[in-house]
Amino acid sequence: MQWIIRFFVSHRNISSLALTVIASLWMLSGNPDQQQRIARILTFSVFYPFQFYFNQTTRIKNVVAENRTLKESFANLSVQVAQLSEAGRENERLTEMLGIARQFPYQLVPARVVVRDPSFISRSAIINVGKEQGLLPFMPVMTTHGAAGKIIQVMQHMSMVQLILDPSNRTSVMVQRSREIGILETENGSDFFIMFRAHADVNVGDTIITSGLGGIYPKGLLAGRVAKLTENRDPIFKKAIITPEVDFDRLEEVFVLKLTPQWASFKQELDSMVTSQSKQAGQ
Amino acid sequence: MISDAVKWVLVFMVSLILQTSFVPVITIAGIKPDLLIVALFFFSIKYGVIPGIFVGFALGLGQDLYSPSMLGQNALTKTVAGAFIGLFNERMMRSDPLIKTVLLLVVFIIHDALFFIVQIARLGDPVSTLFLGLLTKCLPRALYSIAVAVLFYIWDLIPKPGIRK
Repeated sequence: MQWIIRFFVSHRNISSLALTVIASLWMLSGNPDQQQRIARILTFSVFYPFQFYFNQTTRIKNVVAENRTLKESFANLSVQVAQLSEAGRENERLTEMLGIARQFPYQLVPARVVVRDPSFISRSAIINVGKEQGLLPFMPVMTTHGAAGKIIQVMQHMSMVQLILDPSNRTSVMVQRSREIGILETENGSDFFIMFRAHADVNVGDTIITSGLGGIYPKGLLAGRVAKLTENRDPIFKKAIITPEVDFDRLEEVFVLKLTPQWASFKQELDSMVTSQSKQAGQ
Repeated sequence: MISDAVKWVLVFMVSLILQTSFVPVITIAGIKPDLLIVALFFFSIKYGVIPGIFVGFALGLGQDLYSPSMLGQNALTKTVAGAFIGLFNERMMRSDPLIKTVLLLVVFIIHDALFFIVQIARLGDPVSTLFLGLLTKCLPRALYSIAVAVLFYIWDLIPKPGIRK
């Protein structure tokens, strides 16, 4: 055995050549089936690590590409879900509005709030209906939850609504249960109150509706609920803190009630009287 | 030493990739250069007989596995080619580009002659195939490969940083 090793070492060039040539000839001498088998074994043992590495690399590349595609799909689907969800909510609101419109005895003009006044001074909103739809100043505006304000300026296709949040806006209201009348007002646009006479029949939780006496809102529109009663410094009055029914932060769709102010005819008559008096004085 | 091994593995891999992908594009009248033999030539002439034999065997076997119609044919021819080139190892004798070119031509002839002999023996082709093949295929292929090998010469002539000739 030792002499074989010694021979190989001393004649390593020839031995190496012989070894590889014999291996080559052995492979060549096999029939096609044997050659294929040897090729398969060699391919598997020699190329498998590389193949595995390339497969893994390709797989990682595929995963990265798939991840990118999934992210895009996810973003698209999120947008679609948001749109569908929004459409669903809008559908609910419009269905509710439709129900209100059907049961309400006045002619209602549905409108969408397109601009909200960001300032805390006027507290107004602009809606997408105007003269074109037959709107006039002082027409009341409401939501499905109750009174929201009145129109103060009418343009061709838009109108400005003064919300009841506006401190300059005062609304004549009454307690639905006891018919006690008061004026719904606010000083800061967020805290609403009504000053009642000290002995007025008002309880916490009472529903407040419009009285119809102001000449603008029809009688019976929901305005709010009594949240708290406070004793005033003046013993003649007591103050009822009111929570409005309308969520003014989420004002999206409204109705305009096509009602001319009840005092309009009086005003007309008064104006004509004043004009005739001045004419007589001039003569 | 290790960096040399890595470098040569890369050279052979690139040669193999180019041989299967790029070389078919630059085929002229069915004649294409053999980059593997060119790479084997430069390797064996630098490192000698034994590395030439084993690398030639491995390269040939790789080529056979790529198209296993005649497993062992390329292994045998490249082993012999590697051994032959190794005899003219640069450590033993200095050779200028002209001698290298002639050597490369001889290597091609030996390689292809052996290739055709194996083919004749295995498939029973007529002996005229050998001469016809050497004349019509081997020589043009060898000349084309030598033309490509000039690029290797040029690369070899470019001074490398840190190497003093």
